[in-house]
Amino acid sequence: MVKKIGEAEFLAEAKTADVAVVDFNATWCGPCKMLAPVVEAVSEELDDQVKFYSVDVDDCADLAAEYRVQSVPCLVLLKKGEFVSQSIGFKPQPAVTSWVKGNL
Amino acid sequence: MSRYDIAIIGTGPGGLEAAITATIRNKKVILLGSKDLSQKLSRAHEIQNFLGFPAVKGEDLAKAFQGHLDQLGIGITDERVSAVYAMGDYFALQAGEEMIEATTVILATGVVQGKPLPGEEESLGHGVSYCATCDAALVRGKKVAVVGYSAKEEEEAAFLSEICPEVLYFPMYKEVGQLPQNVTILEEKVTALENQDGKMLVKTAEMGYPVEGVFVLRDAVAPGQLVPGLETEGAHVKVNRKMESNLPGLFACGDIVGTPYQYIKAAGEGNIAALSAVGYLDQLKRSAQNG
Repeated sequence: MVKKIGEAEFLAEAKTADVAVVDFNATWCGPCKMLAPVVEAVSEELDDQVKFYSVDVDDCADLAAEYRVQSVPCLVLLKKGEFVSQSIGFKPQPAVTSWVKGNL
Repeated sequence: MSRYDIAIIGTGPGGLEAAITATIRNKKVILLGSKDLSQKLSRAHEIQNFLGFPAVKGEDLAKAFQGHLDQLGIGITDERVSAVYAMGDYFALQAGEEMIEATTVILATGVVQGKPLPGEEESLGHGVSYCATCDAALVRGKKVAVVGYSAKEEEEAAFLSEICPEVLYFPMYKEVGQLPQNVTILEEKVTALENQDGKMLVKTAEMGYPVEGVFVLRDAVAPGQLVPGLETEGAHVKVNRKMESNLPGLFACGDIVGTPYQYIKAAGEGNIAALSAVGYLDQLKRSAQNG
């Protein structure tokens, strides 16, 4: 499951999780809409290892700036709040899965 | 929205033959491209090796192609496809504002001439964007540059000027139209894009222009950008003899898969691509029935 969060939950949950994947997106962005179900499917696949979150960059401009999100959609993988890797743009499900697994 | 069996992108000989074959095989087809078919074809002076048409002029061959389409009732949807998303068991095609769904896709868009600017691909998503409408909100209030390869990109520059205080416009063509006041037109050849600590530098033969974001807007996009996740080799899509790409359900034919760039070769590959797509659809149907 991908949980939609704001800044407060980001600090409380995503930053403290062992491994978190944060999907930075925006309502006006076509590729973001296409990537959302892909991330959802990947989250079902890796449910036991990784927490998945969704952040709207318009609601959380500071978070987007902090993680240098300059283009959406942008997936950011964090380990206990530390930046590990980022994946920009739409990718098919197998590519997203292997990106996450490659960074575990 | 109804889903097509096969979406064919491109109206050169490869795409047209694919559409003809798929239609004869009773598949629900959408053919996306130009109502004028292929510019390359209609401008060809004389073609000497197209079977059955000795020494035919490009425009006459195009007319014969059009006649063939008309006979089978195949129409062309005149839309530019800006992205193809592999969604698992189907593809979503961004055509203008619309999303088109198809179970399989045949790419027959021809070969992209021209290389990316030095530094362009390295900074993609980190200061370089290919889509003004997508990434505009992330550069709100900032100074940006637009490298436009055709006059229709002026609209995008005008759109950006509504949310950015200053827009530098680099036309890579002649005769620029009217642009809003805060758009500066710089008729200099862009030679490279450089990322400097998150900011961009647009380099021209004359000088460098620091900005916070660069939009590179071209008519044709490279196949790997058109279809995220698609395996390519240089400017070409990597396919096997069945015209299958690395993405299940996505096929390619014609110049986009490599040389020789010949009309008859493109048409032949279009035939293979369509039959492979038909085979793929039949297999899906069978596994659904047994499923």
